[in-house]
Amino acid sequence: MTSGPYNYSYIFKYIIIGDMGVGKSCLLHQFTDKKFMADCPHTIGVEFGTRIIEVAGQKIKLQIWDTAGQERFRAVTRSYYRGAAGALMVYDITRRSTYNHLSSWLTDTRNLTNPSTVIFLIGNKSDLDAQRDVTYEEAKQFADENGLMFVEASAKTGQNVEEAFLETAKKIYQSIQDGRLDLNAAESGVQHKPASPGRPLAAPPSSRDNCAC
Amino acid sequence: MATSDSEDFESADEGQNTPIKKDRKERLSSSNYTENSRELDHKTKKTQSSSTDTVKNKEEPKSSDGWDDFDIGDDEILVAQNAVPSNTHVLQSNKNETIDSNYSQDKTTKKSEETKSKDTGWDDFDDWGQDDNTIEDPYKPIQTQPTRQETKSIYPDIQEVTEKLANTTTTSTTGGWGWGWSVDSILTTATAGISTLTNQVSQGISTVLETSIGAPDPEELARQTAKEKEAKANSPDGLESNINTNNDKVDPKSTSDAFPFRGLISEVTKFVETTGTKVISGGLGTLETIGKKTMEVLQDGDPGLAKKRALLGLAPDEKPVLSQILREAKAKADEDDRIREEKKEAKEVHYENLFDDFEGLVHLEALEMLSRQVNMRIEERMRGLSPEKRQDLKETLQQVAELCEMPEDDEDDNDPSEDTFKSEAFHERLQTATQDLGLKLQFQPIVKQYTEAIDWLSSGGELTEKQVYKRAVASLAQATALSVELYHKAGEMLLVKPRRSTADEADALTQMTAVLTKHVSELATLFTEKLNELQTENTEQIHNYITNIFLEAGNSSTYIQNAFQLALPILQIGAV
Repeated sequence: MTSGPYNYSYIFKYIIIGDMGVGKSCLLHQFTDKKFMADCPHTIGVEFGTRIIEVAGQKIKLQIWDTAGQERFRAVTRSYYRGAAGALMVYDITRRSTYNHLSSWLTDTRNLTNPSTVIFLIGNKSDLDAQRDVTYEEAKQFADENGLMFVEASAKTGQNVEEAFLETAKKIYQSIQDGRLDLNAAESGVQHKPASPGRPLAAPPSSRDNCAC
Repeated sequence: MATSDSEDFESADEGQNTPIKKDRKERLSSSNYTENSRELDHKTKKTQSSSTDTVKNKEEPKSSDGWDDFDIGDDEILVAQNAVPSNTHVLQSNKNETIDSNYSQDKTTKKSEETKSKDTGWDDFDDWGQDDNTIEDPYKPIQTQPTRQETKSIYPDIQEVTEKLANTTTTSTTGGWGWGWSVDSILTTATAGISTLTNQVSQGISTVLETSIGAPDPEELARQTAKEKEAKANSPDGLESNINTNNDKVDPKSTSDAFPFRGLISEVTKFVETTGTKVISGGLGTLETIGKKTMEVLQDGDPGLAKKRALLGLAPDEKPVLSQILREAKAKADEDDRIREEKKEAKEVHYENLFDDFEGLVHLEALEMLSRQVNMRIEERMRGLSPEKRQDLKETLQQVAELCEMPEDDEDDNDPSEDTFKSEAFHERLQTATQDLGLKLQFQPIVKQYTEAIDWLSSGGELTEKQVYKRAVASLAQATALSVELYHKAGEMLLVKPRRSTADEADALTQMTAVLTKHVSELATLFTEKLNELQTENTEQIHNYITNIFLEAGNSSTYIQNAFQLALPILQIGAV
C-alpha cells in the first residue's frame, strides 16, 4: 500500500513504452522500490506505480503507467497514451531490433499525446556493455534529431534510473512554469492539487469556462 | 494457432511466477495473471521451455489478425481530447476549487479566513498582512479629485480606530501581562493591513490613469517625488498624515500642470470615477472582512471579550489569575492539537483516498479509457453499415447488454459459518463464476486480503472501536480497488483473446459481479459484527461507525457495478 502523505501539489502521468523485454517494468520497479526484479513476468495491458518526488520544492506525485510491450497488446496500450505528461521510451542496448522499432514507438507517442508531452529515451541494460549492439553515439544522435532527452541506464544497477524519471519531471515542471503546458487542458497529464497547508504558488488562470466540451 | 498463442504466453510466465509472488504483491501490481496451482483446472498446457524470444516470434504474426483496425480510432482520440474523464472528479474538483478561490480577491480573503479561523486564526491573520505587503512604492501620488475625497473620508476613520486600539493595548501591556503581545500584534498587523490597502487603492487609481492617458512627464514625476519625500519627512508620525499630505499636494497639480490635455480630463475623470468607486467598494469589502476578522480573532476562545477586557483593564474588579490564563492557553493548544489530529485521521479513513492508494482509481481510469476506445470502434463500424445491417448490429448490442443485467438478489446460498472457510468459499465462487470466461484471472490478491481481514478480526487482541472502523473502511476500499482491477484486467485480456464467446463471457462477468458485490457486503457485515461485540459505553459512536461502514459498502457496490458497465462495450465488440 502506498499510503502516503497526501500533501503533494501536482500529479504527473507518465507512460513507459517500448518493445517487449527491454526492461520497462524493471525500470519502474527500480525507481519505485529501489530493487531489481530479476524475473519480471510479462506485463498484461498496463500496470501502475507511484512515487512522490520533489521538484523545486514542490511535491509531485508521479503516476506511472507501465505498458505491456507484447505486440498483441499494442492496440490496448494505445488507449493509454492519452493525457501523459511524460513518456519514457525504452530500448535494450543489447538488442538492435528494439532500437530499430523506436521510430514506430515515437510515431505512436507523437500521435497519441499532446505536443507538450516530454519524451525521454532510455537505453536500458547499460550494465551489459560487453553485449552492446547499439552505440551510445547513434542513439544520442537519434535523440537529438527528434528532440528527445536521452540517457543510457541500468534497471539492474540503478544507474541513471532516478535521473531519467526526475529529469522528465523537471522538464514538465519547467513547461508549467513557462506556461507552455496548460494545466486546465484535460490532456495535459498534469493535475494540480494544492497541498492542504499553504497556497499554490502560481494561480492557475481562471479560464475553465473556455473548455469546449 | 490462435488459441495456442494465448496459452503460450501464459505458460511462459508460469515457471517464474511463484518465487516472486511476494515481491509483486507488495507492489500491488497486477501483472501475474498467470497460471497458479489453484487455477490449473482446464486446458492442456504447453511446455514451459519457451524463452521470451520464441514467445515474441510466435506473437508477431498475430499482430495483424483482427486488431489492426483498432488504430482507426486514433484520429478520433485527438478530437475527443476535450472530454474530461469523469472518474478523476475528485481531483478535478480540487482543481476547480483553486480556480474559484482565485476569482476575486475578496472572496479568497473571506473564504480562506473563514476556514482558517477555525484552527489557527492567529498566524493566518499575520500572513494576510504579509501577503499584501509586497506591493512596492506605497506613496504614489493620487492624481484625481473625486476619488481622493472618498478615500480620505474612509480611511482616516478606520485607521484612527485601529491605531487607538493599538495604542491602548500597548499601554496596557506595560502592565506586564504575558498575553499582551498577541493582542498587540494583531492590532499592529491590522493597521499594517489597512495601510497597504490604502496604498493599493491609490496605486490602482494611478495605474489606471497612467495607462489611460500615458505616463506623466518624467520631469513632473521627479518634482512630485521630491515634494513627496519632503512631505514624508515632515510628517513622521504616521501613515494617516502621509496620505493626507500626498493627496493635498498632488491634487491641485492634477488639475493644472499634470494634465496638459484638458479636453481629455472630463472623460478621464469620469472613467476614474467609476473605476475608483469600483476599487473602493472592493476595498470596502475587504475592510469589512478585516473588521470582522479582527473581532473574530479578539473573540477567539473568549466570547464577549471578557478575558481581553480584563486584560485591557476595562473590568478591574475581575482581574484574571495568571495561572488561570495559562491553563486556558494550554487547553486551547490541546484543542488545536486534537482538531489537527482529527483532520489527519479523517484523511486516513477517507474512503476515496484509500481507494486511490490501492490503485483503484487509476485502474478505473484505465478501464474507462479502454471502454471509450472500444465504443468508438463500435460506432465507427456502425456508421459504415447499411440501415438494415445497422439495425441488426444494434439488436446484437442490445442482446449482449441484456445478458449483463444483474439478476435479482438470490439469497439462496448458505454461507459456511466457519471463518477459516469463508475466504476459500469466496475463491471457489469466483472461480465457478468465471470458468466460462476463458481467461485466467488472478484472484489471489482479493482472496488474500479477505483472509487477512478475517485473521485480524479474530486474532483475539484488544481492539478499539476506532481501530475496527478504520480497518473496515480500508478493507472495503481495498477490496473494491482489487475488484475494479479484475474488471480492468479482464477487459484487457478479452480484447486480445483470440476466440471470443460473448454469451459465455457476459454471463461469467455478470456472475462475477454478483459474487463481488456480495463479497463487499459480507466484508462490511464482518466488521460491523465485531463492532457490536465490543464492550463499550459509547453506543452512539458505534452506531455511527456501523452506519458509515454500510454506506461505504454501498459505495463499493456502486464502484464494482460501474466497472462492470465499463466492461460492457468490451464484451459487445466480441459479438460484432
